[in-house]
Amino acid sequence: MRIDVTVNGEVWNLEVEPAEVLLDVLREKAGVKSPKIGCERGDCGSCTILYDGHTIRSCLVLAVEADGHEVVTLEGIGGEGLTMLQRTMVEMSSFQCGFCAPGIVLAAHELLQEDPNPSRHDVEEAISGNLCRCTGYIPIVDAVLEAARIERGAP
Amino acid sequence: MTDTYVGKADAANAMEDLQVVGTGAPRIDGLDKVTGAAEYVDDIDFGPALLHASVVESPHAHARIVRIDTTRAEAEPGVVKVVTGADFPFTFGLYMQDRHVFAMDRVRFVGEQVAAVIARNARIAKRAASLVEVEYEVLDPILDPLGAISEGTELIHPDLGSYPRVPWFLPQAGTNISHWRKTRRGDLEAGFAEADVILEDTYTVPRYAHCAIEPHVVVGRLDQAGRLTLWTASQSPYTQRAVFAEALAPLGFSHQDIRVITPYVGGGFGGKAGVSMEIIGAALATAVKGRPVKVRWTREQEFYNTYQRQGVVANLKVGARRDGTITALEHTLYWDAGAYVEYGANVVNAAGLSATGPYRVPAVKIDSLCIYTNLPPGGPYRGFGYSEFHFGLESHMTRLAQRLGIDPVEFRRINAIAEGDTLAYGEPMNPSGLREAIDRTAAAIDWGTPAASDDPNVEIGKGLCLFWKAPAMPPNASSASFLKFNEDGSINITVSGMELGQGYLTVMAQVASEVLSVPTAKIRVETPDTDRNPYEWQTVASHVTWSCGNAVAAAAKEARDKIYQVVHDAHGYEEDSLYLEDEKVKCDTDPDFELPLADFVIDGIEMSDGTYRGGPIVGSGKFMPEFTSARSDPETSQGGHPNVHYTVGAAGVVVEVDRETGKIRVRKAALAADVGRAINPTLIEGQITGGLLQGLATVLYEDMRFDEQGRLLNPTFTDYKIPTSKDVPDEIVPIIIEVPQPDGPFGARGVGEHTMIAAAPVIADAVADAVGVRLTDMPITAERVALAILEANGR
Amino acid sequence: MAISHDFAYLRPGDLDEALAMLDENPGARVLAGGTDLVPWMRDDAVFPDAVVDIKQIEGLADIVVADGTLRIGSLVTFSDLIRSDVVATEVPLLAEAAATVASVGVRNRATLAGNLCSAVPSCDGGPALLVYDAVVQVTGPDGPREAPVSEWFLGPREAACGPGEIATGVTIPIPGAHGGCYVKLSRYRGEDLAQAGVAVLALPEHRYRVAFGAVGPTPFRAPTIETHLEGRAIEDSLDGLDELVDEVISPISDVRATKEYRAHMCRVMLRRGLAAAEARLTGGGPPYGKQVI
Repeated sequence: MRIDVTVNGEVWNLEVEPAEVLLDVLREKAGVKSPKIGCERGDCGSCTILYDGHTIRSCLVLAVEADGHEVVTLEGIGGEGLTMLQRTMVEMSSFQCGFCAPGIVLAAHELLQEDPNPSRHDVEEAISGNLCRCTGYIPIVDAVLEAARIERGAP
Repeated sequence: MTDTYVGKADAANAMEDLQVVGTGAPRIDGLDKVTGAAEYVDDIDFGPALLHASVVESPHAHARIVRIDTTRAEAEPGVVKVVTGADFPFTFGLYMQDRHVFAMDRVRFVGEQVAAVIARNARIAKRAASLVEVEYEVLDPILDPLGAISEGTELIHPDLGSYPRVPWFLPQAGTNISHWRKTRRGDLEAGFAEADVILEDTYTVPRYAHCAIEPHVVVGRLDQAGRLTLWTASQSPYTQRAVFAEALAPLGFSHQDIRVITPYVGGGFGGKAGVSMEIIGAALATAVKGRPVKVRWTREQEFYNTYQRQGVVANLKVGARRDGTITALEHTLYWDAGAYVEYGANVVNAAGLSATGPYRVPAVKIDSLCIYTNLPPGGPYRGFGYSEFHFGLESHMTRLAQRLGIDPVEFRRINAIAEGDTLAYGEPMNPSGLREAIDRTAAAIDWGTPAASDDPNVEIGKGLCLFWKAPAMPPNASSASFLKFNEDGSINITVSGMELGQGYLTVMAQVASEVLSVPTAKIRVETPDTDRNPYEWQTVASHVTWSCGNAVAAAAKEARDKIYQVVHDAHGYEEDSLYLEDEKVKCDTDPDFELPLADFVIDGIEMSDGTYRGGPIVGSGKFMPEFTSARSDPETSQGGHPNVHYTVGAAGVVVEVDRETGKIRVRKAALAADVGRAINPTLIEGQITGGLLQGLATVLYEDMRFDEQGRLLNPTFTDYKIPTSKDVPDEIVPIIIEVPQPDGPFGARGVGEHTMIAAAPVIADAVADAVGVRLTDMPITAERVALAILEANGR
Repeated sequence: MAISHDFAYLRPGDLDEALAMLDENPGARVLAGGTDLVPWMRDDAVFPDAVVDIKQIEGLADIVVADGTLRIGSLVTFSDLIRSDVVATEVPLLAEAAATVASVGVRNRATLAGNLCSAVPSCDGGPALLVYDAVVQVTGPDGPREAPVSEWFLGPREAACGPGEIATGVTIPIPGAHGGCYVKLSRYRGEDLAQAGVAVLALPEHRYRVAFGAVGPTPFRAPTIETHLEGRAIEDSLDGLDELVDEVISPISDVRATKEYRAHMCRVMLRRGLAAAEARLTGGGPPYGKQVI
């Protein structure tokens, strides 16, 4: 089947089988590698993408379902540069191995889009579906709160 | 201090006024990781020629293979090749060759690879793998280590006695004991006779999974010219090359024919050390010459067919005098090592040398038995045996102190090992800040000050435990580094340690930066390619900061010496009057002289006659400990020097326990580690936070569950769940202690693994303190606590 | 690992077309959020020869109040429920339960109706809808019909939705003044499946509704407990309550918990859930979303 899916602002016309999963198609047919294959059953969040503006697990979506929809991955959130969130995460060395980062950055990005002044609990809730084995999460949560603070211009 | 462990200490370094070492410089890989630029093995494109493999697995824990029929799978359109053990009758293994590429005559655990289908895409491979027919003669599975060593039990490896192995492994042929490390020191009988109190008990620790978020993956390609390249998600590119070369020698391969490339790796924790599933990729590549072939483990396979942390049953007996002095310790560890122990037996070995914990113990008897079972292969996991034995040991020390009527922290102060004290294997202890760690951890959790909760269902408890660990390495494990300058004065460093997330690349950059005055932002440290990067044994054992840090420092110093040489040749300044500052060469004797590195590190220095001096500046360095030896008396472990040094520390927690639900909330966790020198304190705090949570997970939540047929019941993140962002302690207090390691780079020693070692016993202690129940089996889940409280209340 | 079997993907534009497709493909499965169906296909647990994606059908994604009834279309996700003011106001226990389902990235896709159709014993939607006397709206070859949630769950992963039928939504009679509490026992504070779940609704004049999840083959209401509690202050009903819990639940031991712990916790959860629901009825108690265990 042919599908039209917008990936990071660019329309892709792709030939896919009904049994193909969106995650695999993004990686293999659109060359977008930031969504990672971690568990393939929705448990780990590594494959998180923004789908019509909201985070979903791309391992739980058939590629054919994405026909006519808009996908944004980590490659696409910053436009030309970096978001404040990304900059803060670099400065605060938030990640270790980095495999969870594409999912966590998007999950936190979605939160900050909806709530510029989240509490620590809100941040923990927003990324609680994204498993990280390295960091103990605290340096990630700290960076999300710090980025929000800077964006708000709060002291 | 004796000179045995000093190596080539660089006293001058320790004295220097450091500019970069000791700062929390941002990670040099940070940008790659927050932008999606970081490339992992599965992200590399191999084009339309790429083939995919799916593995046919044993459904039985113990069975003879009677017949394999691949006909139907081979007939499936899109299948390129189907292979079985008969195609690769080769053994492999890191320390003992007890494995085959595919099971040959028998299978020894559920999930063991029996055959593989190589196909044009993953869907076809998966479908065709289900068409391979394997007939088994099912045998009784041996799942319990104590059962495995009882009289008359069937041998899981009848050929154990003939397996090639390293000299420090001591297999007991004709049994299921694949290695038995015995450590004996002092007069045990007299020690216990001298004791006023003797406490004896048994502690059990189940199996655990690493749960790196990136699954194992390998791509192998044998090109038309006969060159075999492997892209692997690995902690050990050079060790893998060596194991591949050894295993595939019958096909004519040697080291020069094999290249291992390892980009970023998505977490390791020991699980990607050595060679596990990667041997399949190497073998399959040889079967489809010219085509790259990918094997990517599913999350389920990740759980049941890589290394697992071994379970252990530990019998522990410790005696002490009324004044609190420990007089004797007897520790017997029965390890459930699984179907193959080519790596796991070294975990058993490490524990067998150090299962006294960080205590001064005059009389010691340790037996650490590596026992084959029909469960998945055991192997390295962050902590390498120490996490496992510390649970019982540290629980026991607290209980012994309480039995003596001595405060458990004071008891630890009395017995804590100090520099120069004799270790169980007879060598002296290295410098350490253990007492400072105890004091600062105790202060961080207000030890001795009772705390109460407003909630009538909730009790507060505290615990404080010690930890230690030495790298477990072959005596000659070594590291090497190349360093080159570029035209703009930037630097590329090649090493073959792995960036597992710990921040290794950043630390190596900081070491070079300190020596050469080039900021870390201008230093790239490249991930390994065994064709190009110099040797590194493996990125395990928390040793690369220490070992490879020394190699990078040596390479940087060699480059610095060459810089001074060329400046001397061109300008005539004495070399010992020159120094580097702000990317310039400067001179003590001529304050006006300064020469930017970028001006000459490639092009050289132009002389008045138009000729040039110098040329591209490069450096190389290596490090190998030259004081270690694995040769010792097999009956006592005396006479060798197996460990380079120990990193020590303490951990403390304050927990809330709900008496009804058993739920445990960690209000505060403090961890002090003596890192020798904190090259990057931010990264060390990262290790403390992440390692503590991983350790807390092993005690509060996780364990692997098997049924009576040896099948893993929870091979998913749904049911072997790891903590989420909502499951972290309310507060973590990292405490960095710096008592320099004389032979470490700027005094540094490793700390990666240590941060999870004390987590389990400290929770056991805090729960006991809060609600009065002492649990001696891990994990200590809400369920177990609640049921134990009910039982204690007679319900 | 890939989904290895082939199937047809069908995308009807309206309900009639969807029903016709189901009629033509007896082995088809309905696809909404897909958060259960896709991994089940990957695990070879189901082998549909077609999936009928109902997400193009209009009118199924709304939350509507009319005539004292709240109607939740079958494409409404858990995130939609959490964001809905009317859900928070009229059926806050449902919002509380929705917030315990998986995590944001799953809740943005997973639907309440799908949760009911998957019918896993631990589903968080089950107990909540049971205490609200919800009704599943079903359309099939014989036209629309209504199925009370209390008759919906037939067994593990088995719901009263026939092969040619589509659940189009859930209706809830708005209960008026009440306090609710969904108590979920899980190993983690973050995303986890329920080891046990208890939903408690406290209505004026000491009337209560109680439902359990994950401690039987299906979620279920507990009328004997409701009768026991009726007409008395909770503290006057505690005698004999544990025994009644033991009578109605049938927990099993599995990899998530032993039956002993499940049973013990059901008693604890019911007591704490009752206290919270009662307090919330009068505007006190812990805020919705704050777990009481």
